[in-house]
Amino acid sequence: MKFKRFLIVALSLGLLIASSNALSGSISRQQFSIGYPSVVCPATLNGLASQVSLASRNTKIHRVGSTSAKFVKSKALRIPIPTDPILVDAQGVTPIVWQSRQGSWAGGTICSNPAANQWFVGGAADITARGKLILVNSGLSESVADVYVWSGASPTTSKAISVKANSYESIGLDTLAPGESSIVIRVASRSGRLNAFVVDERGKGLRTLGGDIVSPGVAPAKEIFIPAIPLQPKVKNAPAQQLRLLAPGDADANVSVEVISGDGRFTPVGFDDITVKKGQVMNFPLSPSVTSSVYGVRITSDEPVVAGVYANVGRDFVWSSSVSALTPFTMAMTGMTPLLVFVGDNINVELELSVVGGKKVRKTIRGDDIAFWRVPGNARNLSFARVSANTYASALQASVNGFGSIPLTAGSVLTKSAIPTANIRVLNP
Amino acid sequence: MAVKAAEDSRHVTAILVVHDGAIWLPEVVASLTSQKRSPDQILAVDTGSTDSSAALLKGAKIPTLTLDRESGFGDAIWAAIQTLPAPTSPENEWLWILHDDCSMHPDALKKLLEALDEKPQAIMAGPKLLGWHDKSHLLEVGVSIASDGARWTGLEQHEYDQGQHDGVRDVLAVSTAGALVRRDAFVELGGFDPNLSLFRDDVDFGWRARVAGHSVIAVSEAKGFHAQAAASERRSADVKEAFLHRPLLLDRRNAAYVLLVNSTWWMLPWVVFQLLGSATARAIGYLLAKLPGYASDELLALATLVIHPRELASARKFRKSHRLLSARVVKEFIPHRRHQIRAASERLIDSIRSTILPTVSEASTVLDPLNEDEDLLTPSTTGRWWTIFKQPKALAGFAILILIAIWSRHRYGSLVGGALVQTPDGARDLWRTYFESWHQIGIGTDQGAPAWLAVVALGSSIFFGNANLFISLLFFFAPLIFMLASFRLFSKLTSHNWLRVTASFLYAISPVAIASINSGRIGTVVTLIVLPYIGLLVRDWLTIENTSWRKVFLLTLVLSLSFMFSMQVFLYVFAATLTITIIDFIKYGNIRFFHDRLWRRLTLLVAPLLAGIPWSFSTLLDPKRLLLEPGLAIAGGGPNFALFSNPGGTGALPWWSISPISLVLLVGVFSSTRARVISYFGCGATAAAVIVGSLSISGHGNSSPVRTWTGSLIAIATICSVAAGVLILDRLREVLVVTNFHYRHILAGLLVIVTTLYSISTISWLVTAGADSPLRSTDSKVLPAFLGVEDGAKTIVLRQVKSNGVNTLQYFLARGHDVLLGEPDIAPVETLAISNAIKEIADGSGISASRELGRHGIKYVFAKSPTNKEVVRTIDGLGGFVRSSATNAGIVWKVNDALSRINFIDSTGKISEIPSTTVGTRTQINSPGTILLTDSYSRSWKVFQNGFNLERSKDANGFPQFIITEPGEISLLHDGTVRRGLLSLQFIFVVTLIVLAAPAGRRRREMSESELT
Repeated sequence: MKFKRFLIVALSLGLLIASSNALSGSISRQQFSIGYPSVVCPATLNGLASQVSLASRNTKIHRVGSTSAKFVKSKALRIPIPTDPILVDAQGVTPIVWQSRQGSWAGGTICSNPAANQWFVGGAADITARGKLILVNSGLSESVADVYVWSGASPTTSKAISVKANSYESIGLDTLAPGESSIVIRVASRSGRLNAFVVDERGKGLRTLGGDIVSPGVAPAKEIFIPAIPLQPKVKNAPAQQLRLLAPGDADANVSVEVISGDGRFTPVGFDDITVKKGQVMNFPLSPSVTSSVYGVRITSDEPVVAGVYANVGRDFVWSSSVSALTPFTMAMTGMTPLLVFVGDNINVELELSVVGGKKVRKTIRGDDIAFWRVPGNARNLSFARVSANTYASALQASVNGFGSIPLTAGSVLTKSAIPTANIRVLNP
Repeated sequence: MAVKAAEDSRHVTAILVVHDGAIWLPEVVASLTSQKRSPDQILAVDTGSTDSSAALLKGAKIPTLTLDRESGFGDAIWAAIQTLPAPTSPENEWLWILHDDCSMHPDALKKLLEALDEKPQAIMAGPKLLGWHDKSHLLEVGVSIASDGARWTGLEQHEYDQGQHDGVRDVLAVSTAGALVRRDAFVELGGFDPNLSLFRDDVDFGWRARVAGHSVIAVSEAKGFHAQAAASERRSADVKEAFLHRPLLLDRRNAAYVLLVNSTWWMLPWVVFQLLGSATARAIGYLLAKLPGYASDELLALATLVIHPRELASARKFRKSHRLLSARVVKEFIPHRRHQIRAASERLIDSIRSTILPTVSEASTVLDPLNEDEDLLTPSTTGRWWTIFKQPKALAGFAILILIAIWSRHRYGSLVGGALVQTPDGARDLWRTYFESWHQIGIGTDQGAPAWLAVVALGSSIFFGNANLFISLLFFFAPLIFMLASFRLFSKLTSHNWLRVTASFLYAISPVAIASINSGRIGTVVTLIVLPYIGLLVRDWLTIENTSWRKVFLLTLVLSLSFMFSMQVFLYVFAATLTITIIDFIKYGNIRFFHDRLWRRLTLLVAPLLAGIPWSFSTLLDPKRLLLEPGLAIAGGGPNFALFSNPGGTGALPWWSISPISLVLLVGVFSSTRARVISYFGCGATAAAVIVGSLSISGHGNSSPVRTWTGSLIAIATICSVAAGVLILDRLREVLVVTNFHYRHILAGLLVIVTTLYSISTISWLVTAGADSPLRSTDSKVLPAFLGVEDGAKTIVLRQVKSNGVNTLQYFLARGHDVLLGEPDIAPVETLAISNAIKEIADGSGISASRELGRHGIKYVFAKSPTNKEVVRTIDGLGGFVRSSATNAGIVWKVNDALSRINFIDSTGKISEIPSTTVGTRTQINSPGTILLTDSYSRSWKVFQNGFNLERSKDANGFPQFIITEPGEISLLHDGTVRRGLLSLQFIFVVTLIVLAAPAGRRRREMSESELT
């Protein structure tokens, strides 16, 4: 009798545990909303020409400053930007903007999501400076940005700049740190949907000394990669190729620079232990003896630093910015034929290129230390389908007006935001 | 010699009024004839006795005058006087009025006359009246009337005569039983009022004598022994004025009559008010005691009086003509209100004390004759203070108090946290929430407040309206209350003191008790308190046909309380009833006691639901809510925790502190004692907890499903387990002592080890990590004060909440204040349009979010710190939101062009705000247009204009709107008639249940003689 009861109890218990756990299952505790926020392309300054490469003719754009809230179709794969910045509903395909001054210089960067914090290593505020800091507020409320400027001699300055809703402001670099030839800028958004761009244009009297768009680099870090630095013979009277470093923290940084080229990796003489004083922008002449025309650098430091490399290319100059590790993403390439430069220990990048006619071409880039691949002229969109870990990449684009470096990082990023849920609990302390 | 001479000169006529008094008459006549100072003449008046009274009188050779059966007492006396010869010496002619149920002490007449010698101004003297059966029971030493009409003797109930009131005292009146009255004064004052045929004629006469300048005295040396046959309903009141022959009715009528005809005219309104008030209060008391006849007597008494105003007027006129002194002369004899209140309080306290602490008749122990002297010589010693710790109950009580002091060290103050939300300051706020038909929660709701809120409000009212104090004390002392409540139950199961104390201590620190306190689960806390009482009452549940209906209704009341706080208990009772009924039917078939059982069990199931209407039925209509307990929807621990009788969730014991509860239930299943049946019920509760705990449901203001909290079901399992354990160990102890070592010893040892380990680990956890629980005292607020300035202004509150290690964004619509007690239970479901707008704000796509929020009357968006920077940036970037402030508390944006709560849209489309009160408004409208309310639609929203109810419709957003066709004053309100009606019905059901559950009072005629005396 008791054994029977025991059997019944054991069976009931087993059934109970099984059924309750089956009922329980997994609960989706959080739902997410996935989408691509519109990216912002910079304004075109006076006298410049600007084109944006887009993913398709159906890509929707909206001019910042327009009273209409509507987005309209681009109707073209590469469109000019007359003056005002534009918002692009990029849907995951990062547009590239290419700006140039006729016969003087050219430069490019990516159009990107609004960012809270942007670091620009490049530019000058001295007598030659004609560059601008462009602050674009693509939101419908006023935005406030804190602009911090570091220079070689002056102490760090900061300035709060408000940008009206749906508008942009361009501020001369020479007003940020007058007289300073080497500056680093940080733009922190206090509120609003803010993007910052830096155009470094220089001239001496009527003579232009070139220019470039300084792409935002990575935030201060102890290891930094600058993948694509063009190496060309020094032009007469032009400044030397320079590595610009800043340790924005409270301590001096001991920095070591490693050159990555087709010849392998090495640390140039004098670059194995550079001391970068805290809060002071320092330039170091960099002329590595390598056989290839493009190389990259890896900078390591005991304190977080930011870095960029200034390089002369003919009449123009290029600011090569640091980049974050390459991730799978897609970039619009219409009208561009850049040289893609990858650096890393074991480079293994799988590309998918859509070309005119809708065809798709697959390509795998493999290599050690550094690898190159030039995008063909009929390219439309370039997708990095699969990338190896710790691989960094930038693109170098040449045009009749000049040379530019474009970081290969995603501008149109998929944002996954948790869908807010109604819960009266939020009203309980 | 002088006394003797005076005695000789007085002529005393004894008038004995007889009415069906054969029981007492022989003794009365004997006492009359054995008087040391015999009356000079004896005359009996028989008012139509139907028993052997007349024969007895004849046998005693007492001259008898016979009157109608309906003749009153005063009529009888007056008739007797008419037969007497005219007085020769009026001042020496005395009447000794006697009742047939009052025997006199042989000295009575003598002592009365002696006292009158000392007080020549007295025209009336009465004896000290003692009980007929208990001759030491003091009935009266003079009598008066209280301002509410009660007969006032100034004595305590069942007061023992020790001579404490002895002496000759001036009084307002004396009882007519044994009263000696001067004949001429009696006649001059008109005798007893013919309208007072029985009862209160004595007080009335005394009052009249006093204002006529005479004196009335009570003489304690003269004694009478009164059976009070009419008042104790030993004989019927057959007098003409006795409507329905009900003594109480006549007594109350006459009491009111005495006050109304003798009081001064300017006191009359106050007298009427007091009579009405006291009659109503007494009627309620009689109703509660299930004596509706007495209750009707109280109310009918006044009614029968006020329909004869002429009678009152002529009586007042008669008294005016005989009044020589101011009515103030009687003031000193009317008891002061303070004395009346004190007497009533003492009676109430005595009654409660006798109910709670019934008198225990202890068998007298015979002292050892050898030690008797020694005991007397040995000086008594008092026990040392620390010997109190030798008492298990006291020791456990101290232990739990110390544990509480350490465990609840963060709970000294107003408590918030876990499922418990902020408590309003006063009980009044709780009552208002309960009675209101419209609640400003979220977008607004007309759902009725839960019934448990009324219980909390009632509890708070006891604490002088301090709801915070009530809730804080409830949670703070909850373990002690659990222990004390369960101790009563376990005392019924075992006589072993240590066992029952340990069991109640374990119950107090059971996993469910700890989890419910730590996570602020008021529903489970109350369930844990109530369950032992249910256990006490439900012991005969299987053979419930033997249980009295009164006990069934008492259990119903306790179950009502339990269901109000947790409908999981209802589900359990429902399932148990269904199961047992099916088993009974299969076992016994459709026979009589099956029906008896069924009716009683159905009563237990249905009546508590009636006591909880309208809330209980609205819950039944939404079965999901049956599983939700009061407060915020916070996740429980799931089925695996429930299997170990731990509800889990925040504040619960960690998994490694495994309690022996489930183990005991399993062992109990194999027991051969009553523990097996109890274990079946416990296992059923555990199984239900496991199944229910595996479900995830949303509700109570939370749109995301969370694992159901099964605290109440586990509480049932816990009480069953501890009870079964007590029964097992109680018998096992005896078995283990007398048997050889076998598996029972191992099982018992295992149980003791597990229990000890559990106790140690639990107490250690409680005093360390367990004290850092969600429920704690705090004064912090979510909403900044300035957002509460505008009454009912809608603010979307965004907050990052960490759930399972993931930061999630949650929101809710606040109405000027943080969430308050009861509000989560009735919080409306989220509005799709608002949730879409918030979603768009979060993902940055909400260009039209501000417009949508504004349309819903939402004026502010508040991101509570710590804020999500991405969301803040997004809101900054979206149009229509203007930053109002950014403080440590968070960031506030004002929504552009937001509608107000009540808006007027004129014919041109211009929108203007109409200031609102908490719910509605009354204002002047100057042009035709539309009234738009941005609260959710309800059929009870009404707008009245010029006495007409305007047509109500829904606007595009589903809000109520009213078309105004002409200017004029409008009144917007939420009609709460239905709510009020349902609450009235609830009140009726609750009162009925209380009446049915209350001990029944007995009519006087049902009481034994000894009880009456």
